[in-house]
Amino acid sequence: MGWLQDTPSAMIGEAPAKSGRDRRANRRLRKVMAMVSLAETADGRQAPHRRRLLPRGLAPTLPALVLVLVFFVLPVLALLTRSFTEPVLGLQNYIDLLGSSTYLKIFFNTFFVSALVTAISLTIGFPVAWALAIMPKRQANIVFAIILLSMWTNLLARTYAWMVLLQRTGVINKTLMGLGLIDQPLVMVNNLVGVTIGMTYIMLPFIIIPLYGVIRKIDPAILQAAALCGATRIQAFIHVLLPLAAPGMIAGALMVFVMSLGYFVTPSLLGGTANMMLAELIAQFVQSLVNWGMGGAAALVLLVITLSLYAVQLRLFGVAGQEKH
Amino acid sequence: MLLNLNSLGAWKWILLAITGATSVFLLLPILFIAALSFGSSQWLIFPPPSWTLKWYQDLLADPRWLEAAWTSFRIALMVTVLSVLIGLVASFGLVRGRFVGRVALRALFMTPMILPVVVLAVALYAFFLRLGLNGTTAGFVIAHLVVALPFSILALTGALEGFDKSIEDAAVLCGASPLKAKILITLPSISHGLFSAAIFSFLTSWDEVVLAIFMASPTLQTLPVKIWATLRQDLTPVIAAASTLLIVVTMLLMLIAAAVKKGMKA
Amino acid sequence: MTPFLEIRGIRKQYGPVVAVHDVNLTVDHGEFLTFLGPSGSGKSTTLYILAGFERPTRGDILLNGKTILDTPSHQRNIGMVFQRYTLFPHLSVGDNIAFPLKVRGWSKAAITERVRQMLTLVRLEGFEDRKPAAMSGGQQQRVALARALAYDPPVLLMDEPLSALDKKLREEIQHEIRRIHQQTEVTILYVTHDQEEALRLSDRIAVFSHGVIDQIGTGEQLYADPATRFVAEFIGDSDFLPCRVVEQVNGRARIALNDGLIVSDIPLHGNSARKTDGMLMLRPERLSLSTKKTEMALPATVEDITFLGTHVNVATRTADGTAVSVRLPFGHQAISGIPRGTGVWLTFDANAAHVFL
Repeated sequence: MGWLQDTPSAMIGEAPAKSGRDRRANRRLRKVMAMVSLAETADGRQAPHRRRLLPRGLAPTLPALVLVLVFFVLPVLALLTRSFTEPVLGLQNYIDLLGSSTYLKIFFNTFFVSALVTAISLTIGFPVAWALAIMPKRQANIVFAIILLSMWTNLLARTYAWMVLLQRTGVINKTLMGLGLIDQPLVMVNNLVGVTIGMTYIMLPFIIIPLYGVIRKIDPAILQAAALCGATRIQAFIHVLLPLAAPGMIAGALMVFVMSLGYFVTPSLLGGTANMMLAELIAQFVQSLVNWGMGGAAALVLLVITLSLYAVQLRLFGVAGQEKH
Repeated sequence: MLLNLNSLGAWKWILLAITGATSVFLLLPILFIAALSFGSSQWLIFPPPSWTLKWYQDLLADPRWLEAAWTSFRIALMVTVLSVLIGLVASFGLVRGRFVGRVALRALFMTPMILPVVVLAVALYAFFLRLGLNGTTAGFVIAHLVVALPFSILALTGALEGFDKSIEDAAVLCGASPLKAKILITLPSISHGLFSAAIFSFLTSWDEVVLAIFMASPTLQTLPVKIWATLRQDLTPVIAAASTLLIVVTMLLMLIAAAVKKGMKA
Repeated sequence: MTPFLEIRGIRKQYGPVVAVHDVNLTVDHGEFLTFLGPSGSGKSTTLYILAGFERPTRGDILLNGKTILDTPSHQRNIGMVFQRYTLFPHLSVGDNIAFPLKVRGWSKAAITERVRQMLTLVRLEGFEDRKPAAMSGGQQQRVALARALAYDPPVLLMDEPLSALDKKLREEIQHEIRRIHQQTEVTILYVTHDQEEALRLSDRIAVFSHGVIDQIGTGEQLYADPATRFVAEFIGDSDFLPCRVVEQVNGRARIALNDGLIVSDIPLHGNSARKTDGMLMLRPERLSLSTKKTEMALPATVEDITFLGTHVNVATRTADGTAVSVRLPFGHQAISGIPRGTGVWLTFDANAAHVFL
């Protein structure tokens, strides 16, 4: 905003605050400035004699706004409404959904797997993030390149890789049997074990990268001070490093958990139909069973949980959210 | 002390070991897929008895795979153009505007990025059924546009916020109309933002699976959809070949992006 | 005769808040006029109204008798140099200067020649191919100046262009600006809060305060004959002694200082029918002191003596607690060896004094 941001007081005639009255006037002025649209175009220039129809800057956002409203908000609201109106008006769908043991099992599976994936990712991800934060730049860059490559590789390709690796005659079973560790091949596909492994693989980068950022920001001098105070490594770890990294850990964990809850591709391919998770349930309702009411209900449940967790995160951390690399 | 690698003692090796193992863990499946695509075993036996290009030949000879690849490409292209254009205009409004609810609007634009895609996919599927847009290119493009736009807006608002508007004002005083000043002066100055927006939008569409599954029809499939459909039937190595090609394209784009970013910073 | 540039009754309001109350001003062709004032006084707002970035709530601006308010910014043909470096970062120096000429459709040959001329004017010959990022702040502002003047605008606006530079560089470029002004004879409107800069550069200075112009005049006029207390305080150093108007005749007053001293025939600013308490303004260098009592002298105590090279500053305090600074040329015998706390007698030149009510 160039000059406008630069010299706000110069532009808007703030009185030098010599008295309470001046200070109050200045506060009022700033409030007005925040709200009153300056009689200018979106960039401070005005063609002569043009009246403003819309507040400044609103017009250019309209195409995007229309797109988001018509093709995002509206369809989702419509779907959610159907959960209350099909096949009959009322909460029947929710009663069916939350009353049936089949569906409850699916909810349970989803939560369990997501929690497990989050826990494992955190356990592995923390040491890696820590190491990355203190490794020499050269090696750190190599690890980063691998992490980024993994993130950007197509999701299907990665899932397919695990489908092949984990199959009965796959490399992992072959190696384990060859080493004599097991007699029978482990069943790792079409069950929740495969899903957990596959999802952990995908979620790891999402924990490592933000956590790395948080640990980087910790001032090493604090840990040095702890050492000087006489703390052993374990004590410093438990009482200093962990608490300082905790916000990043919680934020990362929340993000991974929320993502896992709504995941579709990997659980479907690695879990099989017998071990459905919530996302596939929603898809099933809609595609195979054409039951919009139940589909909408399941979707609403997923949305409510997702939004609640985001609300918790917002309350705890302000606007954390996705970080740009 | 804990943030110095050399003073960690035995812990150092544990940390490095975990990091090394994780790196291998992350890398291996990708290399594995690439290796598999050249292996001769139809049942994905590894190590394969011999090496072959057969799967690539099958892939490139199959018109349906080529068609899927072409569909992916043209949809991603359309999405990129629309996403950058709409995102650019919206970003100007978000960054330069002064209206109530500006912050809320920004948050609204980001929402498609943070909500579970399956909900959007199902909702759009129902919506498009009413409108007759299922299985059409238009429907596909719209669906991908919804999820690509947040990336575009994120990149472009960031770039615009870092741009000193006084420079644009100076151009106007030099005699350029406000629109000309934006095109000749502002856009070149935020080219890195435009580039990021384009790359992210393209990759988002190119790699997108869930929406694609719902937007597709037997005659209109993107590459991920074709892979998904094939995967549900069997694990033929042709998928490995297709996946490897996908990986290569993504890697190329990322390398180009990195090179351009470096070139711009210089 | 039609004035060259006329600013008539300009008022700018944002909602209930008034940034510029009522600004009236005429500028002569080729003049260097400075808007001087603290932040928030309305000087920058007025400048931006001239540039077309703000639209006035009321009032008009006429160039050669014709209003310019109907013209959008990019057609006003005005040059401007901003406080921040506004060179186009992706263009070379030469292309930066060429930009306004290209927009106006000049021929390639004419552009090349003009760019060369402008670079010579700002003493940056040969810099055509440099990029802004590879240049210092001072160099960038000079290129900005060259770009603003390239198309021969009738008016050049400058908004605190040197405030981002360090002192030495600032003085250097002030010198350059003055030289360029004399060479090109362009009319310059310059905004600054630095009174020294204003005095150094301008033909006339308009002192802004709270959205109005308190006084317009040459630097000497403003210094010797300030019209308001604000102007007296803003330009140069000043001492203020509380006083009371005893009698007023034709704009000149007889006043009584707190210790009873009566001084006559001082220019009065304000109406003594409404109030009689005011301040007597004196310039520190118009005061003198002595250890011996003389006629019409004010008793005071020495608090501090500071040596400042060409002169000495003596801080004193009168009996009623008013701080008075006295500026004496170095070598003045009156102060040699005077310890703090000494009682002295202050005298002043009543011809240079003013009373503000």
